[in-house]
Amino acid sequence: MTNPPHGFICKDVVENIMDYIDKELDLETLSELEKHTGMCPECRAFVDTYNRMLDLAGKLKEKKFVTPEIRNRLRILLQSKVKPS
Amino acid sequence: MERGFIKRFINTITRSKSSDDSTMSAISDEELVQMYIEQEDELIFEEILSRHADKVFGLALRITRTTEDAEEVFQEVFITLTKKIGTFRGESKFSSWLYRVTANASYMRIRSEKKHESNLSLESYAPYDEKGSLMGRIRNKDWSSRPDLAIFSKEAVTIIENSINELPESNRVVFHLRDIEGLSNEEAAKVLGLSVAAVKSRLHRARLFLRDKLSDYFYEWRK
Repeated sequence: MTNPPHGFICKDVVENIMDYIDKELDLETLSELEKHTGMCPECRAFVDTYNRMLDLAGKLKEKKFVTPEIRNRLRILLQSKVKPS
Repeated sequence: MERGFIKRFINTITRSKSSDDSTMSAISDEELVQMYIEQEDELIFEEILSRHADKVFGLALRITRTTEDAEEVFQEVFITLTKKIGTFRGESKFSSWLYRVTANASYMRIRSEKKHESNLSLESYAPYDEKGSLMGRIRNKDWSSRPDLAIFSKEAVTIIENSINELPESNRVVFHLRDIEGLSNEEAAKVLGLSVAAVKSRLHRARLFLRDKLSDYFYEWRK
């Protein structure tokens, strides 16, 4: 995302977090980022909660919405609108 | 895989209701769609529906935000599917094509109803101050190792859902496709007709906003 000069500050961690998670940082930026988070508990908490949020959001994929009733209403509608094959 | 065999196989498992998921997954979405285009077989349609119903409903609900509207979109998408599936050229994954149809139908619906969306803009949303510091507030509300969140409780799901629904629509839909449905930046960009850079930018701000929201909620929750 950005290519900050040597000496990372918290803002640089925030602005590079997406590429960090996606493993798309160049080696120099990665090293600077990890050096900073190693020394900054605030940024470590940021990275940990960011990862946790992604973990929780990913679990929403398992959520089911379509009940047998919804499916049945679709079936009735399809039968009324589409010629049977 | 030989198509006659696949069709007989689907007939068998659908009728006997003893579907073997691992064998079934060997048949790609695209193969099924091609078979449906050629044969218009109801059982093949049922299999396509089973695979994609929740994805379609979930995206429609994320955009329209009411179950009534989401069901209307869901119905419209599968009716469209029976009529226009022949326009699927196989240039993208079938699921991407279906997401695009769903997103378009959902946007049509919210526009026709002139649904109110919040004016919140996340364009310059950031958790740091003008000096680029996180100001000590992240660590104070660190919820990353709370053991009660390890169990994915109903209450935690509600908190996450509510937080996502507070996002502006343009950020919400990108977050849904990328971080819930697991599409790549490129796939999400194709579905929404955006550049990859726009997808990444919207996703970045959405995640920062959500991380903050969840910190507030989980910090207060069962304190």
